[in-house]
Amino acid sequence: MTDLWEFFLAFVRLGLISFGGTNVAELERVLVLHHSWIDARTLANGFALGQLMPGPNMLAVTHYGYAAAGLPGALTATLGFYGPTALVSATAVLIWQRHSTHPWVVAFRNALLPFGGGVILAGALVLARTSVNSWPAALLAGVAFLLLWRTRVNSAVVVLGAAVVGALLGL
Amino acid sequence: MTQAGAALPPEDEPTTSTQPAPTPLTLARLFVGVALSGIGGGLPAHTRRALLSRGWMTDEAFAETFTLAQLTPGPNAVNLAAMVGARLAGRMGAVASVLGVLTPGLLAMLAVSVVTLGQPGGLPPLLQSALKGAACAALAVLLTAALPVVRVGWGVRGGPVVTVLVFLALGMLRLDLLPVLIVGLGAGLLIHRPGRKP
Repeated sequence: MTDLWEFFLAFVRLGLISFGGTNVAELERVLVLHHSWIDARTLANGFALGQLMPGPNMLAVTHYGYAAAGLPGALTATLGFYGPTALVSATAVLIWQRHSTHPWVVAFRNALLPFGGGVILAGALVLARTSVNSWPAALLAGVAFLLLWRTRVNSAVVVLGAAVVGALLGL
Repeated sequence: MTQAGAALPPEDEPTTSTQPAPTPLTLARLFVGVALSGIGGGLPAHTRRALLSRGWMTDEAFAETFTLAQLTPGPNAVNLAAMVGARLAGRMGAVASVLGVLTPGLLAMLAVSVVTLGQPGGLPPLLQSALKGAACAALAVLLTAALPVVRVGWGVRGGPVVTVLVFLALGMLRLDLLPVLIVGLGAGLLIHRPGRKP
């Protein structure tokens, strides 16, 4: 059983350092490699489930919390991951309305964007290492990518379809 | 990703302006609806639609809020909810909006977690295969979300170098994020510091 306070702080940190999307690489480093609270399979499964949930995709953290420490863990992880960042955002928007044209704000934005790109690509690599471990899996990921990229089909439909294909293939 | 901007017909609200101003409670309800319609992503697009159709925000104000949500740490869709709520109804508005956008998924995820993780001896093989298939598609979802982010960052001066180095540091070398963040942002701020003539 994990110490809930340590657990809470870990998720607060993870929430505050994820930029412009999902930082799967850091989630894995902290939850799997460093603390061993969950395993790599749970990380990938939770991420997939998160794509199917109504609401933000990173509700995967609820799943990770539950896997590691039951219901208290799930609530702790969710609150820690989303609470502080929401607070920062609400404060930022009120400050922003006063200083949006400041040159340093523009510079900060330009510095942040390439960084965000590197973070999200690293996350894709980490997920691929766990999820794409066979040729059929690679093919499935490729087809899903083309569908999402080239058509307007809802991503939840693609994820559910891939689940059916996975079950049929016995991945 | 509001690529749907052009594809959305203007929501024809007859000018019976009986729209009450947003309160924390009505915001919470709006965001519960956004969450329920946003299965598989696209929450910002749904948020925009819901706000504009009620006449609670102009397109410009939304675009600005959306950009800002990209820049703050944390998950975009939830930050967006917090910002919209704060703009429209202050602190309580932010709290109500965040609770609204989180609650449906939280309950659903708890139910699914109890079922999938509560099995002694792990999941039945069929379900494991299904989840593996879903994980492949989830990776594709992440990649499609990554493309626009990478493209925008690539266009900034010095962007490609920073993007590749951050990718190598985090993805290949598995370094801690914080030092990488400090070095990466520091380099970016140096390149783009105000007062330089481009």
